[in-house]
Amino acid sequence: MKMSGSEILIKSLLKERVEVIFGYPGGANMPIYDALYDYGKQIRHILVRHEQGAAHAAEGYARITGKPGVCLVTSGPGATNLVTGVADAMMDSVPMVAITGQVAAEYLGSDAFQETDVMGITTPITKWNCQVTHADEIVETVAKAFYIASHGRPGPVVIDITKNAQFEEADFFYKKVVVKKLAFTNHFDDDEVRKAADLINRSKRPILLVGHGVLISGAEKEIDELTRKGEIPAAATLHGLSVMSWSNPWFVGLTGMHGKYAPNVLTNEADLVISAGMRFDDRVVGKMSEYAPLAKVIHVDVDASEHNKNIKADLPIVGDIKTFLKDLLPHINTGHRRSWREQFRILDKKEQTAEKKRLKKHRDDITMDEAIKTLSEKTNGQSIIVADVGQNQMFSARYYDFKKPNSFITSGGLGTMGFALPAAIGTAVGNPKRQTYVVVGDGGIQMTIQELGTIMQENLPIKILLLNNEFLGMVRQWQELFFDKRYSFTNMTGPNYVDLAKAYGIKAKKISKKINLRTAISEFVESKESYLLEIKVAKEGNIFPMVPTGVAVDKVRLE
Amino acid sequence: MLYTVDIVTENRPGVLYRIAGLLTKRKINIERINAYAVKGKGISKIFFTADVEKKVMETLAKQIYKVIEVADIKYHEVSH
Repeated sequence: MKMSGSEILIKSLLKERVEVIFGYPGGANMPIYDALYDYGKQIRHILVRHEQGAAHAAEGYARITGKPGVCLVTSGPGATNLVTGVADAMMDSVPMVAITGQVAAEYLGSDAFQETDVMGITTPITKWNCQVTHADEIVETVAKAFYIASHGRPGPVVIDITKNAQFEEADFFYKKVVVKKLAFTNHFDDDEVRKAADLINRSKRPILLVGHGVLISGAEKEIDELTRKGEIPAAATLHGLSVMSWSNPWFVGLTGMHGKYAPNVLTNEADLVISAGMRFDDRVVGKMSEYAPLAKVIHVDVDASEHNKNIKADLPIVGDIKTFLKDLLPHINTGHRRSWREQFRILDKKEQTAEKKRLKKHRDDITMDEAIKTLSEKTNGQSIIVADVGQNQMFSARYYDFKKPNSFITSGGLGTMGFALPAAIGTAVGNPKRQTYVVVGDGGIQMTIQELGTIMQENLPIKILLLNNEFLGMVRQWQELFFDKRYSFTNMTGPNYVDLAKAYGIKAKKISKKINLRTAISEFVESKESYLLEIKVAKEGNIFPMVPTGVAVDKVRLE
Repeated sequence: MLYTVDIVTENRPGVLYRIAGLLTKRKINIERINAYAVKGKGISKIFFTADVEKKVMETLAKQIYKVIEVADIKYHEVSH
């Protein structure tokens, strides 16, 4: 039976078990929207307020469900607005299928109204992209797109569909596609497994680095077993947070630029670094030439191009982390590394002393640490935290006590301010059973604040913790430390956020005194509906420890 | 170091652009390039020569191989 390309697209999405689309209609995707009109019961459509919001919401959805997030926008500005979110998904390995409308094929290259070279713009920031100019190409393209987005190292794909292809008629027979190249992820053998086990068993001071790949692979249990059986201290990268909780005595916390003091210092004393699904980002390794100078490196990653990219691997393992760990575990001897673990505790004490000193400076003001710690306590570490970018993000990473895996969603690689509010729409839609909290600063919230409208329209019970210091806090901190306190254009006057939230029908409250913190957060947590809690925090609070850019990790600063 | 890179790829619009982009983002300039479609086989061959740092070449080749359409890649140093 013949049907329009638009209907073929919708039916193809259904075959890929798409339940939600985050989108925005416009001239060049109207036929698709017209087809969608008849499928309202099968596919939920969330109308965002700006296309960037659609991309971040799709990311949030993908991160929390493990399934590709889908967004649908029009040509020209619709597609260019999407770009930041697509780039963000590329950097953080988030599966996404972005569908952009395009001018009719006969107008391509004519500078038609709302025409832009979407293929050209999105090529460097996608895992794959494809332009469709005929209806009969849609099925195969969609099938391929979903396969590519979700296999191997996940990432975003863009399908650009010209308007004539949306109107044109073709037959519909859905057929799944296998991309051979991505079908086999494990390229390691028994010999390499034994070599890895041997390196680990012989190591006196190993450190395991847990990254996003562990969550993608679902290898939390294997990581837990490896650390306990082998007695191996394990640190998390920003995206590896929530793989482990503090109930595992071998967890030593976040590492990297604003990570804990101990794992940063002791990485450079380790004799073995075991990297599990992380890519030695510059925010993790600091000065690359002085990173882990005493250590051999086992680097497990599904993406072979990450091996030897930043840090040389003595034993590169190409494969799925869960499969590898399952093979590895029987070869791991019971470890005896308590005294090595003790060294982390000694350094933790040093960090705590510095922290106390820092908090004393802010006797009356609420600090970001206190706000996050209180939220963590009141939610018992069970919630999904969607953090924005900057100090609010680093304080969330450091002070929320994650007790469940896959609970920390943030923009790591691209560092996109404005990510949190729309991404939270995705997590709330993707997993309504768990409570989503947004942690955001006054800078970031204003970049995508229009998405309060989406929260209102969809009636999503998202809680928004706004940490307002009337500064672009992270940049201000750098200006304080590295630019002689020359606060060049970082102070920001904000609107009345409480009135603003209320205008969107969202409950809101503002506090500024320490004595009100606990009650306010209780009320915030207990609310059944969306709620914005604005906390006026210390204006010049800093996040420490800190590894300044281009400095070795063991030179991490405590103040 | 001057390298010659030989690539076999599915013949599809945008593949050369995607490969070129991996060079552009590292500010690598192409010294020489040649590409042609193999008649009736749906594949293309691309050869280029470029000045690439030795430690970057391995990563670059792996990144080019990650391009979905690329079936094979080989590279070797060019002797002056």
